[in-house]
Amino acid sequence: MAVRFKFKQLIADKCLKHCSLNGQEYNEHRLLGFIRCQFSIVPSSQFFHKTFTVCGSYRYFSSSSRQNALAKLTPQEVTNILRENEYTQEFNFPSSVKSYDSNQLASNNPIEDARTEARGLLTTGILLGVFDGHGGAACAQVTAKRLFDYITVCMLPPDLLNKYLESLETNQSLKLLEMYNDKIDLLADLKEKYLETFKKFVKELSEMKSNSLDFQMKEVMEKAFLRLDQDLSLEALEKTDGKIDIKTLSVAMSGAVACVAHIDGPHLHVASVGDCQCVLGVLSDVNTWTAKKLTKEHNTENVSEVNRILREHPLNERETVIKSDRLLGQLAPLRALGDFRYKWSKEIMNQVVKPVFGENAIAPNYYTPPYLTACPDVVHHRLTPRDKFLVIASDGLWDLVSPLQVVRLVGEHMSGKVTLNPFRLPRNNMTLSEINTMLLQRKEGLKRKPIDTNAATHLIRNALGGTEYGLDHGKLSQLLSMPDEVVRLFRDDITVTVIYFDSEYLRHCPV
Amino acid sequence: MNFGNKLRCVKNRCFSGSSGLLSSNYHVTPCTPMLSQVPKKARVVICGGGVMGAAVAYHLAELGWGESTVLVEQGRCGGGTTWHLSGLVGVFKPTLTQVKLAKSSIQLYKSMEGKGLKTGWKECGSLCVARTRDRMTVYRRMKAQSVAWDIECSLVTPEEIKELCPLLEVSDLYGGLWIPGDGVGDPFQICLSLISSAKERGVSVIEDCSILQVFNSNGKVSGVETNQGYIECDYFVNCGGFWARKIGKMSEPFVKVPLHACEHYYLHTKQIPGLDPMTPVIRDQDGHIYFRENEGRLMAGGFEPVAKPAFEDGNIPETSEKRILPEDWDHFHVLLEQMLHRLPSLGDAVLERLCNGPEAFSPDCKWIVGEAPEIQNYFVAAGMKTIGISAAGGVGRATAELIVNGYSLYDMYEIDISRFLGLHNNRKFLRDRVREVPGLHYGLMYPFYEFHTGRNLRMSPIYPKLKESGAIFGQVMGYERPAWFEVNAQEAQRPTENKSLPFRIAHTNTFGKPDWFDYVAEEYSACREKIGLSDYSSFTKIDLWSKKTEVVDTLQYLCSNDVDIPIEGIIHTGMQNERGGYENDCSLARLAENHYMMIAPTIQQNRCKSWIQRHLPSDGSVVMTDITSMYTAICVMGPFTKQLLSELTDTDLSPSSFPFFTFKEIDVGLANGVRAMNLTHTGELGYVLYVPNEFALHVYSCLIEAGKKYELKHAGYYAMRALRVERFYAFWGQDLDTTTTPLECGRSWRVKFDKDIDFIGRKALLKQREEGVHRMYIQLLLQDHDHEIDLWPWGGEPIYRNGKQVGITTTTGYGFTFKKQICLGFVQNFDENGQLQPVTHDFTLSGDYEVDIAGLRYQAKVNIHSPNLPTQYPDKERGAYRATRDASA
Repeated sequence: MAVRFKFKQLIADKCLKHCSLNGQEYNEHRLLGFIRCQFSIVPSSQFFHKTFTVCGSYRYFSSSSRQNALAKLTPQEVTNILRENEYTQEFNFPSSVKSYDSNQLASNNPIEDARTEARGLLTTGILLGVFDGHGGAACAQVTAKRLFDYITVCMLPPDLLNKYLESLETNQSLKLLEMYNDKIDLLADLKEKYLETFKKFVKELSEMKSNSLDFQMKEVMEKAFLRLDQDLSLEALEKTDGKIDIKTLSVAMSGAVACVAHIDGPHLHVASVGDCQCVLGVLSDVNTWTAKKLTKEHNTENVSEVNRILREHPLNERETVIKSDRLLGQLAPLRALGDFRYKWSKEIMNQVVKPVFGENAIAPNYYTPPYLTACPDVVHHRLTPRDKFLVIASDGLWDLVSPLQVVRLVGEHMSGKVTLNPFRLPRNNMTLSEINTMLLQRKEGLKRKPIDTNAATHLIRNALGGTEYGLDHGKLSQLLSMPDEVVRLFRDDITVTVIYFDSEYLRHCPV
Repeated sequence: MNFGNKLRCVKNRCFSGSSGLLSSNYHVTPCTPMLSQVPKKARVVICGGGVMGAAVAYHLAELGWGESTVLVEQGRCGGGTTWHLSGLVGVFKPTLTQVKLAKSSIQLYKSMEGKGLKTGWKECGSLCVARTRDRMTVYRRMKAQSVAWDIECSLVTPEEIKELCPLLEVSDLYGGLWIPGDGVGDPFQICLSLISSAKERGVSVIEDCSILQVFNSNGKVSGVETNQGYIECDYFVNCGGFWARKIGKMSEPFVKVPLHACEHYYLHTKQIPGLDPMTPVIRDQDGHIYFRENEGRLMAGGFEPVAKPAFEDGNIPETSEKRILPEDWDHFHVLLEQMLHRLPSLGDAVLERLCNGPEAFSPDCKWIVGEAPEIQNYFVAAGMKTIGISAAGGVGRATAELIVNGYSLYDMYEIDISRFLGLHNNRKFLRDRVREVPGLHYGLMYPFYEFHTGRNLRMSPIYPKLKESGAIFGQVMGYERPAWFEVNAQEAQRPTENKSLPFRIAHTNTFGKPDWFDYVAEEYSACREKIGLSDYSSFTKIDLWSKKTEVVDTLQYLCSNDVDIPIEGIIHTGMQNERGGYENDCSLARLAENHYMMIAPTIQQNRCKSWIQRHLPSDGSVVMTDITSMYTAICVMGPFTKQLLSELTDTDLSPSSFPFFTFKEIDVGLANGVRAMNLTHTGELGYVLYVPNEFALHVYSCLIEAGKKYELKHAGYYAMRALRVERFYAFWGQDLDTTTTPLECGRSWRVKFDKDIDFIGRKALLKQREEGVHRMYIQLLLQDHDHEIDLWPWGGEPIYRNGKQVGITTTTGYGFTFKKQICLGFVQNFDENGQLQPVTHDFTLSGDYEVDIAGLRYQAKVNIHSPNLPTQYPDKERGAYRATRDASA
């Protein structure tokens, strides 16, 4: 039943999600009144090999004609599409995390988002991450695959680290993590390459001895993110037989933002690079839901982030370093993994990138790189019994719904209730009985039960189809049956992970 | 000056208030340019240029203090709009004081109109409609009261309602109440008119001026720091309205102004063709809604049963503009449906706008006025709960009188700010409570209303045991007190031995015979014939002492009775004000030469302390400590209490050793240090044991265990009330207030004119003794009332003598011994010309009395002395004690 992306060959397409290439300039504009517009380019099959397992006949994959594409879906078809990638994992061991729901809805083909959830086997705690790729899916996929290993080894105490290193060298690798819902496999040669790099890192770590018993999660996260990013660069520039490997270079040319949560007992750490968001659902003492944002997006609305970048570059770049709300007029997130087009020196760009990707690959006004960093912001939150769940999602969701709406949707979903958008009068000069009729309709809408049991699916469904009166099937159907060429104008890839906490555990858990 | 500036750096959060007439909508420029410089010195500084502050300024000017009064407003006075004000002026309020204040407001607006000042006053009358029989009973009771309160009104049938207002749907109505003298005013115009009139008489008005800090020295207001400079002043008036609580926090100590905002809606339609400008104000309280005509449009609003708190985090918006919130149509829908039901044609009206202008409510849904107990000369007039202009005129006048004369003719204890404790100002308490407060405004108020939020707050140590024993609780000053005990229900509801009973809240959802009647009857009879046990822990308990005997002199000055009694003696005494009225009514036990313990009513906890504090010697020689929370008070009453207690203590309880009206510190069970008083507060034989909290459960268990063979029963305070009403005992706050003198309530025998200290109020009382009293406290026994089927008296019923209304009842209750309804109340003597004449014994005893209950008059027999209740167990020593009698008796 699933549309599964099996990557026999992991190669980036040329499309750079947040960039304007090929001389095409798109202004931000609103379509159907909701979503930020970004252009999409049909993926180039030359680099990309994919297998779709398409069951049933989803007309939304057909792009033959617009009329066909916008044909109505039945409610069941809508549900099938929405539930395709949904997943629920329950944890049956004593832990502050009870379970999580996750789901993804693709807009790009293939999807450029990625997600990973895993439990540490040599370390305590659970790791959950959402990755939003741009300029192709490569960087996001690779990062999602590798980052947790980097984080975990940084947490290992010296004796375990040595033991682990030993096992790596004797090729009877101890397992670091138990991965959940892991459907993507890397290509064998890449895998090998990555293992070599990783070994090197572990070795360095064990020599550094800085891994002591009481590590600081903030340092662990920063180290893991930055090291992985550095390794991505090295792998791309490494020459075998005097030639650059186009695969690793493509990974380095694409980019990804990431948000990773580490939960260990009452301790929640969230590391974030870029514009994914992470929100905590808190039930107040009067039973109302409040949203506590744990991330601050690295984009041009983040004043301190903008100031940081302006500070890091000479005054004469003030006008060009951030232009049209983008880094160098191209990249929307102000921090990211990969995206070495904004990190490498001019020499590397000229020597390595230009021959493969052409002149346009170098951003205009590229004077004082690096312009971009993969250093995450890390926040710590001590969980209380009032903290009921955590939502991590890519901007595909946040473009459509606010953090508070998300928390209310999940909160009410927990108690089996639906949530409606706030009511606004549709027009002026309405009579009171007209208003009354509309309010009565809303009341009916409120009585309904949620369709989905998976909260991530519930969020996606409501984000796409929510109205003031309840879910609008027409809206859902339309949004899910658009042809590939235009769908990206209306909705981005959406990845949602909802993590539920065990209040009882948190109530009794020691400080 | 420097002092003030220094503090500004620390406390630079700038704030001031207005009652929130400002809005971004349309801005009206004030008629005259305002002063821009703050004076260095003034007698009175008023904070807030809303209608309340304006009214205080106006009345201060009336009383000749205009030149020495400054009014500061953070924005513009009255600043702008009527989008979130209703402008309703209704005279009918729940109590006489509030009625008087509202009437005074109407009078003011009429007189202002007479002087050519704009008020927008329109006497269109108001029409209250009843959807239920009980609501109609409320109107009948109001109609009966209207005679005493001098309000013109009439009961109307549904047909008459249709005539008065043809727009209304009347098919589901039982009837209504038509009050022709009610009307509407324009709060904005009233505010500006009051201000301009005040300015003409010298009041300085400074706009864009925020209060930063209110200073006091030695507990008296000394000045205010504003963002435009320091003003030295003697009086400060907090008319901050919506912001009053925040302003209260701008002094050290804080002044508690317990208010919390909740969303409040005003619906405005566009022009409705053919709408009669004199359409009366419609109040459909069962639908929680009201309507009025407003310049060709309809304005509608309401008080929803479950309100939605606003600014819950306690961060009140700083400006009026930010106060307006986005409208929550789903929340408002409850009201809209009712509006469309009552006024079907409203459905065709086009919406102009729905305004969500959050309003601040007090935790008991009453206004907050008077002098703050925390700081002398700091006055508050706030919490007007959306009906600012109904209150402003009267409250403004009363506040001005308090400032200029030191007292007001309006007795305002029920709305006095000193009724609050610290708990009432707790933000979370307020946030919880405010959900149900606005709903009360139009709620069907049955007798003994109980709140459902903010409960289980103050509880005595024996509370869990009482709950287990079936107690149904009422709350006074946050304290949970058993109202009655439902023993049968307890057995029925208890599935297993271990499962505890749920917390249950008292209710009396009728104006007739209540459900609790039989339970209370049993408790009453236990108290009279066997043993009843009651929790009196909520009573205010104060220790007063000094090194030498300064405390005796102080109390002699404060009290009208002679408190220089032997050690171990107890005396009942009033604390009078200069006019002879009761500021406090208490028992004083003399623990030692230099040490007294005072027992006062629960509701006096804050109020009596501030009264006493003000009269303590300034040298600190007399110390006052509130020990309310240190002792649990258990009262045992009934003929066998002496036997019971003697089983538990070694102390000799015989009359010669421990006589009536004395005190001893005794051992009870294994506990020691129990302050035992040989008296009860309801006239039964018995003891009140003040037990140190840690011993409370032990003493309680001993009493229960030993009491089994006497068939000891728990008794709640409804039984206490029945006992004391039948025995004709007056209670402060229910019968007595700051305008009642001991001579008027049969207590002149407790006034010792001949003691050698000129106590407060002596002069006034002497004068009254010469001239005779003008009102008299009486007890009435209803003769032909059937408690099973007739509506009961609940207080506030008019008393008729020889067919003429002469007074009003205060407290009432069923007399289980007399088997009659008992009413306590005051009567007056008006001659043919309506002039007050002295009330003599002959006058009170001679007439034919009737009490009007919701329109029906019942014959009544009168008493002016506490009656002797027949008992199987007469007690020679104590039987002769009568609380209410005249001096000679």
